[in-house]
Amino acid sequence: MAITFILRKQEIGLEVEHTLMVKEALQRLGFSAETHLVVKDGELLNENEPLRDGDRVKLIAVISGG
Amino acid sequence: MPAMYCHKCDQMAAIRMKEHRLQLCKDHYLEWFVRQTQVYIQKFHMFSRSDKVLVAVSGGKDSLSLWDVLWRLNYAADGMYIHLGIESEDHYSDASETYCRRFAEERGLTLHVVNVSEQYGKSVPEFARMKKWGKERPCAVCGMAKRHLMNQAAIDHGYNVLTTAHNLDDEAALLMLNTMNWHVELLRRQSPILEAGGGLPRKVKPFCRFYERETAAYALLRGIDYIEEECPHATGSTQLYYKGILNQMEDEHTGYKLNFYTNFWNAREKLFGQKSVKDPGDGRSCPNCGQPTTADGLCSFCRMVGSSGE
Repeated sequence: MAITFILRKQEIGLEVEHTLMVKEALQRLGFSAETHLVVKDGELLNENEPLRDGDRVKLIAVISGG
Repeated sequence: MPAMYCHKCDQMAAIRMKEHRLQLCKDHYLEWFVRQTQVYIQKFHMFSRSDKVLVAVSGGKDSLSLWDVLWRLNYAADGMYIHLGIESEDHYSDASETYCRRFAEERGLTLHVVNVSEQYGKSVPEFARMKKWGKERPCAVCGMAKRHLMNQAAIDHGYNVLTTAHNLDDEAALLMLNTMNWHVELLRRQSPILEAGGGLPRKVKPFCRFYERETAAYALLRGIDYIEEECPHATGSTQLYYKGILNQMEDEHTGYKLNFYTNFWNAREKLFGQKSVKDPGDGRSCPNCGQPTTADGLCSFCRMVGSSGE
């Protein structure tokens, strides 16, 4: 079972045993909800929404700088 | 974990803002964001509908969101894009310009474009490589060039207000940088509004109280097409370093960034005894471009490009 995250054209696979909340998935990937948003099928997901096996979601890194 | 619903209706929340103890659906978030921008504009007396406003746009989420909000609020706001000549696998500057042009065309807005290579003979990265300090700090050269060119565009086209989309993360990172290095003069000047002076327009930051994730969420929910690619020179930048530290603190202490920055407003007044802040300048001006300088002779930008470039 896996969820696929796409961050700036790169795919990151996350093996899961069961449904995960967005916040939990971000924690497992080492990201913070403060710095990354999750979009599924064009919709912004809140931190408590579930991610399931087979989901392909987009990760948006919100922090930019220079 | 329980499902997260909007605090204003029975729809699923799109975003939770822990620092405000507020969670909103898409429609209520978009409404809240626009209204809050108007609140900040009025609170700080940034500008009115009779002012001529120039919005500095980069093609990114913050600046295009700001232009979108000002357009929705019926301000007379035109855009300005500076093509810095930054190359990357995805042609960073060219792509950024395309996003800005498309945004303006879709809304029937006026966009001014300054192309540094065409106007001054070299790109900003090329100018940076010519400077000893620029090789180590290309972002500092870029910032200096952008400040100069934004001022010049406002002067040339008769805008009395120049607005940038600096968000709270930008401002808090700058505050931390200035504090850690005791840049007292920069601390004195760090404000959501810098009054006009020395022929320069008033400078304002209407997004200064929005977290960076909030401006990104606005762009996404509004359907604004923006460049997601990061500037290739930003990797390892000082600003990103301080943003990283502040976000670690925010993860552990909700509201930390907001308190750090907004409490500074009161502290600055107590420390420096001034409510309004003006651009620097003591009457000296650059003999080439006419902009105020803090030293005799050419300003930093004119020194960099060479007097023949102007």
